[in-house]
Amino acid sequence: MADRGRQYLGLADEDLISLVEAADAEAFATLYDRHSRAAFSLAYRMMGDRQASEDLAQDAFLKVWRGAGSYRAERGSVRTWILSIVHNRGIDQLRSHASRRRTQERVEASAPRSQPSEAFAETWRNSQRDQVREALDTLPAEQLKILQLAYFSGYTHLEISELLSLPLGTVKGRMRLGLKKIRDYFESRDAAVPR
Amino acid sequence: MSEMNNERFEDLKEAYVLGALPEEERQSFEDYLAGHPERQAEIDELGAVAGLLAFSPPEQEPSPELRSRVMEVVEAEAEPSHVRRRSVAERIGDYLSVRSLALGAAALLVIGLLSWNVLLQGQVQDLQGRVQDAQSQVQNLQGQVADARDQQQVQKSQTIKLEGSWADQGANAEVASIDKNQVILVANNMPSVPEDRTCQIWVIKGDVPKPSGLFRPDGNMTATPITNSIEKADVIAVTVEPTGGSEQPTSDPVLSAAL
Repeated sequence: MADRGRQYLGLADEDLISLVEAADAEAFATLYDRHSRAAFSLAYRMMGDRQASEDLAQDAFLKVWRGAGSYRAERGSVRTWILSIVHNRGIDQLRSHASRRRTQERVEASAPRSQPSEAFAETWRNSQRDQVREALDTLPAEQLKILQLAYFSGYTHLEISELLSLPLGTVKGRMRLGLKKIRDYFESRDAAVPR
Repeated sequence: MSEMNNERFEDLKEAYVLGALPEEERQSFEDYLAGHPERQAEIDELGAVAGLLAFSPPEQEPSPELRSRVMEVVEAEAEPSHVRRRSVAERIGDYLSVRSLALGAAALLVIGLLSWNVLLQGQVQDLQGRVQDAQSQVQNLQGQVADARDQQQVQKSQTIKLEGSWADQGANAEVASIDKNQVILVANNMPSVPEDRTCQIWVIKGDVPKPSGLFRPDGNMTATPITNSIEKADVIAVTVEPTGGSEQPTSDPVLSAAL
């Protein structure tokens, strides 16, 4: 069993997800251990408290387990797919809550940078995260705020327009420019957008 | 709400990938997309840019209890053969309780038990067969995955420059494909490494680094074959390792490039 566990550690995510599709719990456990921290971090950023975040992460990982067959490699990496499940279900939950705890202050709070780990894999993940943060740092504050309100807090473009007292066209324009600027950041470094 | 058309699609696509469309508008957008599959790639690409936001939150550690809860459900759903075994045991229990009510029919019971024993042996053999079948299926699947990887060895001719602390010091390293099956790392102006150290190349897919070649900078240009396929890999990196190389990287990369 320990040998099998070690074998799984050497498999790429795409191979593991094929085994998960065949109901292999050990393969799933390996995927969970690789991506649970990123998934939980995103859930926590969206929900704002540990219990709700753990519920969201649990819900998302069970969807990964039960829906591994719906993963399509051509649409992006397994990690991106898992995070998109967390994001989509997080938005559903935020919108279903009658009372929204989400506040502008939370969005405006700047995120502290975590210390990079010594472990190599961690170094790579941190490097990817740092690149993304650097890309976000290039955005004007008004564009970043709108992307964050939409992506993390689940506000629709109409709600953002009301919240910030901006014309809807301005909100959509800032979304467009914000995403373009992130893409330009990677293209200017001859790097592909991580997927 | 206006009818979805090309102009409206263009107007809403950023809000869509950010998850910022109201439900009805989102549905309308997806219906339009389903009817125009040629636009899916554009949305996937834009979605990848929006998806980068998911990498930006500060790291939070989930509790061990979360893992236990998730794995409890997963393991229960993963092992239907255990359920089948329990079902057999329950049926034995049912049978025994019937027996307690029918002590007077001991002879019939003995005959029944013998028959049941034969039936159980058959079921156990059936279960063992199913377990073996499942194991074979997993092995087949692993074989298919390996075959698929082998078939995807075709590499495009390309050159990729590596960045990092050594590049900042003036080292120049590039990954180059010389034909579809051969990829090499060309390096010059590299800093020297201590006698008991060597440079090791890693091909990283997901979070898994695979050792992919060793070389020692000697002041001249070096060309080192990369021993693992870079097809579908995420990054290529170079670390300084003990002579002979390591199974896993033991230091941070001095050069790397996203693929």
